[in-house]
Amino acid sequence: MCESEARDGAKAFEERARVISNAYVGPRLYKITLAAPKTAAAICPGQFVHMLLPGFGAHILRRPFSVYDAREDGSIDIIYQTVGEGTAYLTEVEPGAECSVIAPLGHGWQTHEGKSLIVGGGVGAAPLFMFAQQLAAEGRDFDVVLGAQTSDMLVTRADYAKLLGRDPVIATDDGSLGHAGFCTEPVREALAQGGYANVYCCGPAPLMRAVAGIAADVGVECWVSMEKRMACGVGACLSCVVETQAGKRRSCVDGPVFNAKELVW
Amino acid sequence: MVMAVNMQVNLGGLVMANPVTDASGTFAAGREYSDFVDVARMGAVTTKGVSLNGWEGNDSPRIAETPSGMLNSIGLQNPGVKHLCEVDLPWLKAQGVPAIVNVSGHSLEEYVAVVEALEADGQADAYEINISCPNVDAGGLTFGTHVPSVEKVVSACRAAATKPMIVKLTPNVTDITEIAKAAEASGADAISLINTLLGMAIDARTRKPVLARVVGGLSGPAVKPVALRMVWQCHNAVKVPILGMGGISTGTDAVEFMLAGATAVAVGTANFTNPHAVDEVIDGIQAYCEQQGVDDVNDLIGGLQC
Repeated sequence: MCESEARDGAKAFEERARVISNAYVGPRLYKITLAAPKTAAAICPGQFVHMLLPGFGAHILRRPFSVYDAREDGSIDIIYQTVGEGTAYLTEVEPGAECSVIAPLGHGWQTHEGKSLIVGGGVGAAPLFMFAQQLAAEGRDFDVVLGAQTSDMLVTRADYAKLLGRDPVIATDDGSLGHAGFCTEPVREALAQGGYANVYCCGPAPLMRAVAGIAADVGVECWVSMEKRMACGVGACLSCVVETQAGKRRSCVDGPVFNAKELVW
Repeated sequence: MVMAVNMQVNLGGLVMANPVTDASGTFAAGREYSDFVDVARMGAVTTKGVSLNGWEGNDSPRIAETPSGMLNSIGLQNPGVKHLCEVDLPWLKAQGVPAIVNVSGHSLEEYVAVVEALEADGQADAYEINISCPNVDAGGLTFGTHVPSVEKVVSACRAAATKPMIVKLTPNVTDITEIAKAAEASGADAISLINTLLGMAIDARTRKPVLARVVGGLSGPAVKPVALRMVWQCHNAVKVPILGMGGISTGTDAVEFMLAGATAVAVGTANFTNPHAVDEVIDGIQAYCEQQGVDDVNDLIGGLQC
């Protein structure tokens, strides 16, 4: 995992990564493991890699993926959801395939003083896991709320439970596990009880917006990770801009993590 | 023994150590790619289009991937010429690489004001006048699609510019040689082409356009045959040197543009696919010359045999 002084401004590089495994883990959800030792050593929580899918022919753009886990053996995990042609194609990539990644990219999650609440909606739980590992390793106090459409989509639940030593708070849209409904309700309850200084949220934009609103109502700082269509990934092309109080900013290098109060939703 | 190849070219008065620059808008002002590319090694760095006081650009989504290419409608988002002169150009000058500043405007007066600001600042080595902007005074018609407006904007910039002036042509015209001739007659030292081809993408599932602005500019390998054809046509129509671009990803692509008549080449969308593309294109041109026994890269210009 990254050295804290290497954060933000660490030199980016291209690495030839090799696919170790690529497996179905839940409805429309897959976990790909890559041998990418340079990336594994450099990536910080909340940062992303920009991947050129191997053998994807006429598709010229890289795809950004957040990193779920990075290990000392030089491997990284990415949990992805099939949303378009690129991710659908990625599910067919076989172990042994080589792909180019550029990394480490973006401005990730930063720790702040006080108790934290991690809120992961759907596949948005993945980019927060390395950060939860960091909080745990530094002995910081934090809780986790995970939401998904159905219980079988809670593919990170077991890893979070192992890290926490208890089950995270769960919400499912269909009520198949935990709170029935969006995870905003458990977030509201947790923040109403008090004691939290920070919220870190990743998920669909409407969820992040709602959670940011709940946090703002009780005066708790909230950071969110913005996902936008991206071309270069390094700050040059201005494709991935988000609206902020300071005008349009690039989610690839100024983000993807922003303080929610800087954003214009 | 490796043969010494002269890689230096002269693009309308701008001396470049090799024929390779980046296509405006794909490379910011070089710094964003400096982890991957030795910027100092480039023939020149072409900066993102700059206007007088900056533009916010278009709504999102701003890009769409298309077969062997992409569409963009960034809308020339930029922080204005003052920011370029205070932040970007000093960094570029410190690298020791020539800076081609791409100039945009929504009116004749704005183009001239940007050139005047750059002349006063003095750090730019050349200008690339982007005449693909909509002309607000003419109801949004693109400057670069009509001979009279091309003559007006190029002459006005010429009067203000002492540095080499490249005029960047849009391919969205019936006959690009008419536009090229108008630019040459109005004082262009060089022309660059092609800018992006107007296109669109539709999401059949939602029945909506993919881009917020509905239409955008197509770039990438998909446009290379169109770009080559236009460079070749212009080479046969004008005497000023040509900066060729449109889908260049490799040294071989660059050589093809030079054979069609380009003196220099720009690497654009390929930077997104391969952040080392500029370096590889420089090396690839050199390797081609060595293999073919060409000791001066200038010998490739217009060398097409047909």
